[in-house]
Amino acid sequence: MKMIRAIVRPEMVEKVVDALDESGFVAMTKMEVIGRGKQKGIQLENIYYDEIPKTMLLLVAEDNQTDKIVEIISDSSFTGNFGDGKIFVSPVDEAYTVRTRSSSL
Amino acid sequence: MKEIIAIIRPKKVTRTKEVLDSLGFPAMNAIRVMGRGKQRAILDEVNFEIDDPGLLEIEGAMRYIPKRMVSLVVPDTEVALVVEAIMKVNHTGQIGDGKVFVSPIEEAFRVRTMEKGDEAIT
Repeated sequence: MKMIRAIVRPEMVEKVVDALDESGFVAMTKMEVIGRGKQKGIQLENIYYDEIPKTMLLLVAEDNQTDKIVEIISDSSFTGNFGDGKIFVSPVDEAYTVRTRSSSL
Repeated sequence: MKEIIAIIRPKKVTRTKEVLDSLGFPAMNAIRVMGRGKQRAILDEVNFEIDDPGLLEIEGAMRYIPKRMVSLVVPDTEVALVVEAIMKVNHTGQIGDGKVFVSPIEEAFRVRTMEKGDEAIT
């Protein structure tokens, strides 16, 4: 299994979630985060924004679905400007469902 | 080392903390998150009154359910114990009990003492 963490623009989140929903990836967690990328934040005229609010989506999926999810997220959150976000994929050894006490997604 | 990420009900956090503390794992991170599972956030899952009974019928009537994400890093040998403890405390049998994920961590450092590996987390 893989954990996919996508840091996307807050205004694009609902679009991303709907796109994932359509393809059958319903379960996910989202959280508000603050961060910056390679461009060290953003300068708008005289004001320099060091930390930019973003939303992080976190979902866990089987290995063979990872590519598809990454593609859906990157397609739906794309604007072409700086700050579109990043997607990270990391390994997950085990996943448990508390209600059924089973070791599966 | 393994990182254990548990997404649980907010009202179970205190009990989870107490139990993990008594087992010797006082260190953890907790963050408020919104999420949903396979059932697309059903209204039944929240514990406040719903005025409109029609809403209860609709799947996905609520987009997200408030949850708490608890994460802690433990040595490999303790993973089973911590997962079992979290599952035992959070088990109610209702939809929305949450998920527990275990993922590998390559290295950990304690900033204050510059300790590495297992020493840094125990």
